[in-house]
Amino acid sequence: MRYLVIGRSIAGITAAKEIRTNDSLAEITVVSEEKAKAYYRPLIPFLIDREEIDIFFPDDPLEKYGVKTLHEKVTGLDVTAKEALLSSGKRLGYDRLLIATGSRAVIPEVKGFQGEGVFPLRTMDDALGIKSCAKGKKRAVVLGGGFVGTKVSAALRHIGLGVTIVERCDQVLPQRLDRGGARIVAEAIRKAGIGIVLNDSVSEVVRESGTIVSVRLSSGALIDADIVVIAAGARPNTEPFRSSGVQVGKGIRIDEALRTNLPDVYAAGDVVEYVDLVTGELSVSALWTNAEEMGRIAGRNMAGANIKYRGFLGVMNATEIMDIPVMSVGLIEPEGSGYEVVVDDAIGTYRKLVFKEDVLMGVVFVGDVAHAGIYTNLIRNRIPIGSLKEEAIRGELGYIHFVGTVPHQTFPA
Amino acid sequence: MKQVFVIPERCMGCRSCEIGCAVQHSKEKTLFSAVLQSPPPMKRLFVESTDAIRMPIICRHCEDAPCLRACISGCLYRDEKGFVRRRKERCIGCWTCIMVCPFGVVTRDREKHIAVKCDRCHKLDTPACVAACPTGALVLVDIDDMPKETRQRLVLAGQKGVG
Ligand SMILES: Cc1cc2nc3c(=O)[nH]c(=O)nc-3n(C[C@H](O)[C@H](O)[C@H](O)COP(=O)(O)OP(=O)(O)OC[C@H]3O[C@@H](n4cnc5c(N)ncnc54)[C@H](O)[C@@H]3O)c2cc1C
Repeated sequence: MRYLVIGRSIAGITAAKEIRTNDSLAEITVVSEEKAKAYYRPLIPFLIDREEIDIFFPDDPLEKYGVKTLHEKVTGLDVTAKEALLSSGKRLGYDRLLIATGSRAVIPEVKGFQGEGVFPLRTMDDALGIKSCAKGKKRAVVLGGGFVGTKVSAALRHIGLGVTIVERCDQVLPQRLDRGGARIVAEAIRKAGIGIVLNDSVSEVVRESGTIVSVRLSSGALIDADIVVIAAGARPNTEPFRSSGVQVGKGIRIDEALRTNLPDVYAAGDVVEYVDLVTGELSVSALWTNAEEMGRIAGRNMAGANIKYRGFLGVMNATEIMDIPVMSVGLIEPEGSGYEVVVDDAIGTYRKLVFKEDVLMGVVFVGDVAHAGIYTNLIRNRIPIGSLKEEAIRGELGYIHFVGTVPHQTFPA
Repeated sequence: MKQVFVIPERCMGCRSCEIGCAVQHSKEKTLFSAVLQSPPPMKRLFVESTDAIRMPIICRHCEDAPCLRACISGCLYRDEKGFVRRRKERCIGCWTCIMVCPFGVVTRDREKHIAVKCDRCHKLDTPACVAACPTGALVLVDIDDMPKETRQRLVLAGQKGVG
């Protein structure tokens, strides 16, 4: 059986490993547009400010699993001939195909974006470009106050640049964090010397003989700048497959076995549209951890298993911003009635729990994230919490409360 | 393969396992120096109790380990003995592992900003927690020697609702 995987990141690599584990005779090829060896994408902001960071996968998993790799861009599919078309003009035959092309940075149409000194941050090359351009520069403007925007801002500040984040919404980390949590995070970011402008956007990058001198905002404000980073979100890489008739919504549509509508074509990771377990709506996950799970299930199914994928938590973020641990899982800013929201805003920590009757729907923890996985498990599996609500609210929930119901091993005496 | 199991009925809640664990993960590995170490050494298992039950909650080195799968930095890995361990220098303190461990046994080293978890005392024959337990509530069992029905019961208990 010939397996072809398009995209050599977490979804594609995990799928290739699973295919090998379940089909020792498989002939597996992974095609990637990126030249670099497989790396951990979430680590790329550290390339800007840490000298010693190693972002590559520890022992090359594809080599270890006997997977052939090709450095090429896939431009289309010939579904009848079962071939992928490559930019070099070559064709690659497959029996089963996985689309794991992930997503790319959204670049809004803004005057002055063309030219030197403007970077997205999606790939290792982007990060290295920012690093070398930032050398000797004084001021950076970062477009977007999401996780990528805050991380790149911290890195640029760390190497000595003055940084201003410009965020369109009325809070940092929109959709990823609730307002209360975002307020604490914004304060910490400002304390670290990074400026934050909310409710505004970049309308022009002002250049003098090609060199960036400032950034104009929609409000009219002008901010001095030498370098601009675009962190305005990501969009699934579906384009090469559209002409083949694959169904696309926000991302490539898949069924619960991660199959697309095309015969023997599967899709996994950031490129797909699937069910958000909390909202029940179709959306794009944009998370490493979810891409890993999808890759695992797709790989097994391609090799003959029949595992059903229930869906992902669209919000499942953990990070540390300016030395403060921050976590948000599930439904964090509920709209409509029927929800009970409990907020504990003590000094130094912030806890928010969202319940629907006795089911935990979402949590936000800032400052203290101990035992968070117990809450994630409850949210993900919709485990009714019954009389343990008080313990959950007080932050006293432990695995002990679930011994015998949630996974555990005890040895009967 | 040998695994650590817990027999809750035998646990008195004395926390000897916690102390044994912290000492084993201290700089000099003696109780005396561990007590004086600053910041204090961290334990990797936690005695928890309700009105009905009391027992140490331990890392199971899950076969399908959520922490390992979720790690976004290549820090967590499975070693040749099957234990889920850290490549400490690769941890960036993103706490994704804490977010997904359904047992709550991954914690935060606040000084070093890295995640801390059980390493099954991989250099020792008997893990420190098992060695420290005075009542036999923590036991090291070769699962291949276990009666089949017992093993099946354990496996069933271990599967429900994972992940
Ligand atoms: C700065 C940053 C920080 C992040 N931090 C976190 C975090 O803390 N936690 C978290 O969960 N997630 C994080 N993410 C998101 C996470 O990186 C993605 O969800 C994850 O990488 C998705 O994996 P994937 O395999 O689906 O696709 P991707 O990682 O996007 O990889 C797709 C690959 O396919 C290749 N490709 C695309 N089109 C083609 C083509 N036509 N032909 C050949 N190859 C092609 C691309 O070049 C790319 O290498 C972060 C992302 C960024 C950018």
